[in-house]
This record gives sequence, structure tokens and C-alpha cells, in this order.
Amino acid sequence: MKAPPSPSPSPLKIPTTPHGPAPSEVPSAKDRLVIDGVSKAFGRGKDRVAVLENATLSIERGQFVSVIGPSGCGKTTMLRIVAGLLDVDKGEVSIFGEGVTRAIEAKHIGFVPQSPALLPWRSVLDNVRLPLQLNKRANEWDDRAAMDPVEVLTAFGLGHVLRRRPSELSGGMQQRVAIARAFVSDPPILLMDEPFAAVDELTRESLRYELLSIWQSNMKTVIFVTHSIPEAIALSDAVVVMSANPGRIQQIVQVPLPRPRGDLLETTAEFHELEDQVRFAIRAGRSHP
Amino acid sequence: MRDLSLSESLAESEVTAVARPLPGADVETGGKPERSALRTVLGWSRPSIWLPCLVLVGLLAGGWQLYAVHNPYVIPKIQQIFSSLGDRPGFYVTNALTTLQEAMVGAVAGMGTAFVLAVVMSFVRVIERAVLPVAVVLNVTPIIAVAPALVVAFGFGETPKYIITAVLVFFPFLINSLIGLRSVDPLALDVFKTLHASRMEILWRLRLPSSLPFLCAAARICMPLSLVGAVVAEFVAAGKENGLGTLIVTAASLANLPVIYASVVVLAIMGISLFLLVVLVQSRVLAWHSSQTVKDR
Repeated sequence: MKAPPSPSPSPLKIPTTPHGPAPSEVPSAKDRLVIDGVSKAFGRGKDRVAVLENATLSIERGQFVSVIGPSGCGKTTMLRIVAGLLDVDKGEVSIFGEGVTRAIEAKHIGFVPQSPALLPWRSVLDNVRLPLQLNKRANEWDDRAAMDPVEVLTAFGLGHVLRRRPSELSGGMQQRVAIARAFVSDPPILLMDEPFAAVDELTRESLRYELLSIWQSNMKTVIFVTHSIPEAIALSDAVVVMSANPGRIQQIVQVPLPRPRGDLLETTAEFHELEDQVRFAIRAGRSHP
Repeated sequence: MRDLSLSESLAESEVTAVARPLPGADVETGGKPERSALRTVLGWSRPSIWLPCLVLVGLLAGGWQLYAVHNPYVIPKIQQIFSSLGDRPGFYVTNALTTLQEAMVGAVAGMGTAFVLAVVMSFVRVIERAVLPVAVVLNVTPIIAVAPALVVAFGFGETPKYIITAVLVFFPFLINSLIGLRSVDPLALDVFKTLHASRMEILWRLRLPSSLPFLCAAARICMPLSLVGAVVAEFVAAGKENGLGTLIVTAASLANLPVIYASVVVLAIMGISLFLLVVLVQSRVLAWHSSQTVKDR
């Protein structure tokens, strides 16, 4: 497919990271999540606003990619398109060689929304069981093993609150339950839309490293929308910086920091350098729209 | 049970009609909030809870009695009402059961139809566009105006009473069900959609539980309202069946004031009982809902 001519950056490829396939191999479509020239506008006529314009991005299997940018840059819209919650106006999304619809049908996507969105009438355990109970046909499609909900919750430090209702938990714990829910059916892709936006800064930092350690142990492909630069860098292999009006991919900052990463990472000089790089990229996006 | 200061426990029992769970008491009870009915009852036994109401009731009763003594043909004395009840308790119970049966059959039919329709309407927009205007017309039409025609069509039996009661509770339950089925956390719906949940799965596992608070609120209105329906229907179709409405009409034609007011007292007790029944069911069904737990102050 030929990319349409446009002022936006040409197809950006994120190079492989230490844990990905060797750099010499060209990953096939089956090993890439490709967002190809995707545009999306809301409203009609005069009120029409281009929220996302010609976004092109290729993510390799097992990569952790953060998307950052000012409000209205279309980062959530892009995520919702990949999650199959919005249709594209133009362009195409391919998830490991299959369309979004097919990926959804096969339960290949774990979605963590902005707020935990737990079902208040279910216990913590039953909330995490939900993905296994819905669309059961897909449970046997791949040879992936659905995880034991109790084990997942224990891994997230929630083994002692299995029978509680969500309203009895703190915000940080609720968010952990929401992430555990996304992990439980073992989807190859996790889409996270500012999952830590609603928790306080201290909880946020500890959640960041919990997520990091769990992700490092099973290497899902993750698209992580955030407003926090340190969060983006600490977690990611690459940070996609977006600019607003219209929403475009401004720049992709590679994060070559070694893995596994720990919480001392944020004190290093390399980390701060990368922070500045992302910060300048965000500013550059603001100055010339 | 946790020790509570006097003011604390008073404040709590004032806020809650239904016993609230003890914070942090759920670990051993497997997540089910422990309901301390005992504490609620103890709370109600405090004079500061019941005294204000008792004083008001006393004042009203005194005023009533004073007026009744001087105007015996307008209202009966209180002791006349209660002696009428005491003389023939079985008679009132028989009539009350007839009215209750009419009210409940009508209520279940009306609420059931309304709920099923609401589910269908939430699935198929066209049906909503067709049904809702008709339902509104049905709601704004004073159903009592149709009652005599229903008697002509269905006779003096129970059928017109069921119909009138059902129509009366239909609309409030329909509207609440519709709103309830739509009041779904949009982000939870997103999670369901990304898992490719079927519409039936979304209905059973998301929409229905989300609608329960609305259904309970509607039931709190509809259950006592069904008594109104049954009594009004009996007014119109009095004559053959017994029932409290029939009894009131008959007693009124004989200017038997104690019987009228005794029937009203029985109806009031039935209404309160139905309301409390709904509250009880609600405290079981909605234990998870914020309406059932008072947030920490």
C-alpha cells in the first residue's frame, strides 16, 4: 500500500529492542501492529474537526510504546481506533496481520480504560473473571492459556481482597484490578488509555514499576497513552509524541535504556536526557502546528 | 460490633433506613457487607429518633379528636375507627386480601410488561419510536375515565381492576426501566465491546445489573400506586366483588364514617408494608450500590 502524500512524517518505524527479533530480520506483517495513514474527524460541515490526521506507526510484537501529547492531539482517538471502538475515516489498522474486527472477535485485545470501570456488583475476583465469561467461543481459538484469575490478582498484590467489592478498595487498587482484568485472558495486545490518570502521584509511581515488572515477565505488545513524560520513558521502548490541531504524530523518541528496568532508572542522566528530548518534541509540536 | 459514641450512632441511624455495613467488617464474611439490623433497631429505640414524629402524630390526633367531637357527621372519633376494626377484624382482612390480590396481579402484569417492552425498546430503536408516544398518551389519559367502559366490556369481576392497576403502574416502570437500561458506565461498555461481547451478554451482565437501582426506585413508586389503582377500580366497578374500595363506596352511601376511615387505615398499613417490602428487597439486591452504604463522613 502506498502512503498518500501529506505533510506528516513518513511511515515511522520503531527499531527493534534487545528483547525483540534480531535487527537484521525484517519483521513480517504477522509480527507488527501497523497503523497506516489513519485519519479521523468528528462533526460535520463547519464544526468538523480533524482529530487525527494521517497517523502512521508500526509497532513490533512485544514492544511497549507510549503515546504522549497535549490534550486534543488524538492520542485517545488513535487508541480507540486500534481497540475497534471507533471507525477510521481513512487509512487502515492491521494487528499482527489481521484486521481490528478479527482481533476483537478473537479477544486479542486487552483494554484498560481511563477509569477502572469495574462492575460494582461483582467482587474483585468476579470482575477479573469477566473477560473469560464473555465471548466464550474465542477462548479456544488460539493455544494461549487463559490465566487463573486468582493467580493474576495475586501477582498484582490483590490476593487478600478477592471477595471485596470494588467500592471497598482504594483508587490505586481498583486500577490494579482493571489491569489484572485486561491480563487475564492473555491477549497479545494491551491498550491502556491513561490508566493511572485518576490515582495520586505516589501510587502512580509504584503502579508504574509494578506494571513494568509484570510486563517484563510476559512481554505483551502495549500501547500506553499518558500525560506523564517520566512514566512514558520509564515504561517504553519508544515514545510517540503527538501534536494537536490537527492530531498528528510529531516525532518518535526511542528509549534505548536497558531492560529489565528498576525504579532507580529515573535518577540516571540518560533518563533525564530522554525526558528533555520528549519535552522539546512536545514543544516543537506546539510552536508550529 | 464496633463501639460507637452516642452522637455517632445517632447520626448513623438517622441517615440509614436500612442497616449499613460495618466498614472493614467484610474480610471474614466473604465480601458480603455485614448488616447490623440490631444496631438499626437500637438506633430507632432512642427517643430523639421517634419522639418528634410521635409528638406530631399526637398533635394531629388531638386536633382530629377535638374536631370530631363537635362535628360527628364530618369525621368519626378515633376510638370509633379502631373499635370498628376491632369488632370485625376478619371482615377487614377478607376485603383487604381481595384488594391486595387485585393490586398485586395488576402491578406484576404492568411492571412485567413495561420491563419486557423496555428491554425490547433498548434493542430496537424502531420499536421505541413506535411504542413511546403511545405509552405517553396512555399515561396522560386519565385511566379512570376509561374505567366505566372497561366495566361494560369485562363486567364487575377482577379483569377491569387488573387492567386499571396495570395501566397505572405501566408508565413509571417503563420510563425507569428505559433509563436504567441505558445508564451504563460507558467505559465498562467499552471493555465489553473490546471483548466482542454479544448484545445478550451486554444485556445480562451489564445493562440489567446497572438498571437495578432504577428498577428498585420505580418499584417503590409502583407498589403503593397499585393499591390506588385497585381501590379506584373498585369504586367504579363496585357491587359484586368485595374489596376495600367497594367497602368504602358502600359505607359512604350509608354514611358509615367509621367503616370508611377504618378501611383507609387498613389501606395505609398495606401501602406502608408494600413500600417496606420493596426497601427490604432492595437492600438485598442492591447491597453493592452506593444508595445502600453511607460514605464515610
